[in-house]
Amino acid sequence: MGGQSSELVQGTLDMLILKTLALEPMHGYGIALRIEQISRGVFRVNPGSLFPAFKRLERAGWIKPEWRPTDNNRRAKYYALTERGRKQLKAETAQWGKQITAIARILEA
Amino acid sequence: MSFLRSFADGLRALSRKTQAEKEMDEELRGYLDAAVKEKMRSGMSEEQARRAARIEMGSMEAVKEEIRTAGWESAVETVWQDLRYGVRILRKDPGFTLVAVLTLALGIGVNTTIFSVVSSMLLRKPPVDDPDRLVMLLSKAPAATEWGADRRPVSAPDFLDWRAQATAYSGIAAASSVEDTVDFTLSGGTEPERVPGNRISANYFQVLGVAPVLGRAFLPGEEEVGHDHVMVLREDLWKRHFGADPHVLGCAVKLNGENYTVVGIMPDSFRRMWMFPAQLWIPLAFTPAQLGPPARRSRALSVFARLKPGATESAARAELITIATRVAAANSETEKGWSANLMTVQKYAIQESSASAALMFLTAAVGMVLLIACANLANLLLARNSNRQREFAIRTALGAGRFRLARQLLSECLMLSLLGGGLGLLLAVWGLRVLRPAFNWNEYSVLVAEMLSIDRPVLLFTLGVSVAAALVFGLAPAFQISRRDPNVGLKESSRSTTAGREHHRMQNLLVTGQLALSLILLVGAGLFVDSFVEETRLNRGLNSANLLTASVSLSGTAYQDPGRQSTFFQSVLREIESAPQVRSAGVTSDLPYTFPGSANVTFEGRPAAKPDERPSAGYFAVSPGYFAVLQIPLLEGREFTPSDNARSSPVAIVNEAFAQKFFPNQNPLGRHINIENGNESSNSQRWSEIVGVVGNVNEFLGQVAPRPHVFEPFLQRPNGSVNLVVRVTTEPGAFSGSLRRAVWRVDKEQPVTSLRTMDRVVQDAGQGDNVMAELMGGFAGIALLMAAVGIYGLISYLVGRRTHEVGVRMALGARRGEILLLVLRNSMSRVCLGAGIGFVLSLALPRLVSASFEGFYHVHSGWILAVTLLAVILVALASCYVPARRATRVDPMTALRYE
Repeated sequence: MGGQSSELVQGTLDMLILKTLALEPMHGYGIALRIEQISRGVFRVNPGSLFPAFKRLERAGWIKPEWRPTDNNRRAKYYALTERGRKQLKAETAQWGKQITAIARILEA
Repeated sequence: MSFLRSFADGLRALSRKTQAEKEMDEELRGYLDAAVKEKMRSGMSEEQARRAARIEMGSMEAVKEEIRTAGWESAVETVWQDLRYGVRILRKDPGFTLVAVLTLALGIGVNTTIFSVVSSMLLRKPPVDDPDRLVMLLSKAPAATEWGADRRPVSAPDFLDWRAQATAYSGIAAASSVEDTVDFTLSGGTEPERVPGNRISANYFQVLGVAPVLGRAFLPGEEEVGHDHVMVLREDLWKRHFGADPHVLGCAVKLNGENYTVVGIMPDSFRRMWMFPAQLWIPLAFTPAQLGPPARRSRALSVFARLKPGATESAARAELITIATRVAAANSETEKGWSANLMTVQKYAIQESSASAALMFLTAAVGMVLLIACANLANLLLARNSNRQREFAIRTALGAGRFRLARQLLSECLMLSLLGGGLGLLLAVWGLRVLRPAFNWNEYSVLVAEMLSIDRPVLLFTLGVSVAAALVFGLAPAFQISRRDPNVGLKESSRSTTAGREHHRMQNLLVTGQLALSLILLVGAGLFVDSFVEETRLNRGLNSANLLTASVSLSGTAYQDPGRQSTFFQSVLREIESAPQVRSAGVTSDLPYTFPGSANVTFEGRPAAKPDERPSAGYFAVSPGYFAVLQIPLLEGREFTPSDNARSSPVAIVNEAFAQKFFPNQNPLGRHINIENGNESSNSQRWSEIVGVVGNVNEFLGQVAPRPHVFEPFLQRPNGSVNLVVRVTTEPGAFSGSLRRAVWRVDKEQPVTSLRTMDRVVQDAGQGDNVMAELMGGFAGIALLMAAVGIYGLISYLVGRRTHEVGVRMALGARRGEILLLVLRNSMSRVCLGAGIGFVLSLALPRLVSASFEGFYHVHSGWILAVTLLAVILVALASCYVPARRATRVDPMTALRYE
């Protein structure tokens, strides 16, 4: 475990998953890997929080699961962003931006 | 929308469980494969990669559990799982389950029983329409400190003034108040009967909102003198006396020798208006004399009013006080300092029953019993948990969350508790069956006994108490489990030398608390039992053995003349005394150990007191030889003789309390007093000479300060309504039939009622003190037993845990005595701590109890405290000794090999 990996900010995992899926549908490990890579290893998401989050998002109707065949003759569960998910992502990103600016202002003051 | 979707998804997941599980497996396996592949790409060997991926993922089962609990459906499922698992666990250990369920059943059973009493005495609404809007308008006496000063009856002129001026009510009605409830003799039907009745204003039933089951209520015109000979019967009287004959409507029936037309029948439910115990009603017609200014002084009406829609109780009270103040200002001579008050009928009934204090103590007692039961349960569970540590550790390792484990434990507790509650309900049914016949000291208590039942509020209460109990005894063990580190649990051998400190502290705390509670309970019970024993053992002032009493009330025009009344009773006494088993017989207006009428007394040669401060005394009219019959000691002077009659000069006898209060350090004999007992017109000044002083006799059981009493010769002040007292040589109850026949030989129209032995009269005067003492004693016994079982269980458990240690000690040369001391010292320290805390807390009890009950004896409270403390310590010592001795029997070799 890398020394610089850190806990996710509370409540941001959902947003990160939505953002990751905004480009293309992915399966569970792909999402985890993408988050890790893009954050340069700062965020590592373990399956214990990742999969419950999928279930939550799916129940909320923001992502949609789909079984797709993989190269080695198996199938994998891919998740795709729904239209409502896209809206949710937009809203959350806007909200997040506001919060970041506010926090930055407080820290710089 | 999303809620609906979530709901549908959840349902689908529940119905296709295996499918969902399969997909989850597949997805996770895919995840793992992808991770391995990724790691191999970065240069690991397949084996390394697989290992790394596994470590990163953690426990696969734990991840699955996380996923499962993310949806709501898992909650439903786990509850079901918990229940099934719980049943299995409980069945696996039937001994534990049995002890736990029985303990809880006892604890919950006593609570249910007492709640049923509370519910029927305090929570029942009066049987009227919309009872919360029906209020009583009351007079408020100037001396606010007097008992019941804020709920006095109302005078007729006040009632009419209030009715004319108040605007907050849709109707105001009056009834002659309880103290003024008239006993009517009802003729017709099979036998003459004496029944309590009320005079009521015509709109009474309309204000109460009760409709007749047959016929009609009174009409406004029937309130007028001359039109008021109509009557309404209560259903049970109608059935009993007239065989439920509907043709009695419209018929004339003799009431006190006068004809009254029956116009209606009121429902049986009126019995529950116990504070107004009328079985028949006639109109309340005011004569001009009852409305004059002096009549404001005679406050004798119960006034009922129904609040108008929208009117609040406080606004109505404010208005009423304003009116009362105005009336008082206009009639300052009679109304000075008087005001008014208002309360709902239910509240009035509760205050009138004066049972609240007793019920409060009983409720506290059963609450403590339940707490002790819960402490036992908690201790049992804590002990059991430590035996189940490995199970919990394994389950945690397999992915059970802490919350999940705690919930599992709590649902086991809930199951135990519900089983206990069910059994407790059965216990309560039995308890009520035992309790019912014990509620027999007056009409009200009999009515309460009839109402005692397991109804819906009681069932809800039992359910609530069961659930609450489960939380109380389950939370601590559940919390403890959820905090334990599974690694320790797995490593720790099932028989470690000493167990963790943490939960022993909790167990010790529980045992200490239990002991403190049972000591408090025992002291409380001791006080009640002692007071009861004391008041029954106390000198009663008379010899109640072999005495029979009965009540006769003469009715009919034939007996309106006092001379006739006097002759009648003289003939009856002659008839009674002619029976061979009768030693003597007498007549008195009121029996001892009941509340007598009151008389105002003035003394010759002393200035007259102000009207409201006139000295008063309990009043009796008694036949010659009455004191000899009851064997009330004559302290000075002489008894009444047959020559103290209507033709001789008036005489009186007073009791010791009277002499001490009004003639301190003087000889009362030969002094003259004027006795005004309300029946006579107050103008007649008649000086009676005091000819004797007799011993004090109480008005109720346990009365500490005897009230002054004054006696007049029955032959000088005859009375139509009296009690016969007969001393017989045989068992007094067996004489009842002969007594009745003796009265009927003189006049067979006269009802003979309330046949009771004097012992019974005295017992009834205790107003359930015996029941209170028995209940408190029983609860304290249960508490002590439970606490003993609790200590025994805990010490056995601790000794069991220390078998190994004891073995080591003995192998190293410790003697049996030393081991015994070691165990005892250890356990007795917490016993003493608990008993000490309980002792200190109970120091306040004697004062608390005597402040709540009038005439409560606590002569022996010091003794009770000391004896109880000793008893608790001894019982605790005995419960520790048995397991401690077992510890000394340990064979060191076996103990050491046991590992």
